[in-house]
Amino acid sequence: MSASSVKKSGEKNSRRFRVFAITFAAVYAAVYYIALSNNWPLFSYGPAVGEWTLFNHAASDGPTMYWYGWIATAAIAAAVVGLIASFVAESLGRKLWSGLAWLIPVCAIAAVFHLLGGYFTH
Amino acid sequence: MWIALVITHGLLAFFLLGAITHQVVSVWAPVRAGAAHFVARFRAVGSANYANAIIVLYLVTAALGAFIYTNYRITARLTLEQGRYWKSFGAFEIKEHLIAIGLATLPAYWYFWRQPLDEADSSTRKLLTALLAFIVWWAFLAGHIANNIRGLGT
Repeated sequence: MSASSVKKSGEKNSRRFRVFAITFAAVYAAVYYIALSNNWPLFSYGPAVGEWTLFNHAASDGPTMYWYGWIATAAIAAAVVGLIASFVAESLGRKLWSGLAWLIPVCAIAAVFHLLGGYFTH
Repeated sequence: MWIALVITHGLLAFFLLGAITHQVVSVWAPVRAGAAHFVARFRAVGSANYANAIIVLYLVTAALGAFIYTNYRITARLTLEQGRYWKSFGAFEIKEHLIAIGLATLPAYWYFWRQPLDEADSSTRKLLTALLAFIVWWAFLAGHIANNIRGLGT
């Protein structure tokens, strides 16, 4: 393999990773907020009894934690969309606005503040 | 064991806070000439050198926090609820969501801090760094406040 083909392959992978990273950050933030506000965890955990259950199920005793499940829901959705985008839209490369990587997370954070704002007005 | 883990988590968060603060200050207020005094030297660090350390510290601190969180959920959180510390409680709830959202920005953060730095992406690099700094500062303060209310080993 010549040096130029290695360089071209590296640039192609770099463009793909750029699309993946931007898409992953944006889709994850959006899906995380949707999963949180609708309570759509991939799994639930009962810390008092050490119980793992699929999707949204209350633990048999004590509190139930959904945080890990929301992260899993968002991570899987974002990874799938990010991988598809990186292969399908590889040519987007430089055209895909890199600002989506921070803008959508900032919007999701603002939405989280709005959702949980009641704690500060108690 | 939980107390040792909370202290370790706090120390890692402290290192992360220092690294991200150095980086965010150096990208938003860089020093052009020779650094003469403490504040100028603080601003004059090579910000790109911090990126990998910040990613590793963020991941390790978040992973340890996620593990400790199981114990928090059945102990300290009840103290916050029963004491009706709603603002601190809410700040901690927001902390967990900010950390989760911040995790997903790390691949982009790594990409835009890769050497050699691309000037075309400098605004994205600065804003991603500022976003992570906000998340780390919020998480550090909310965790610190919640810990102060509950205390260690009480």
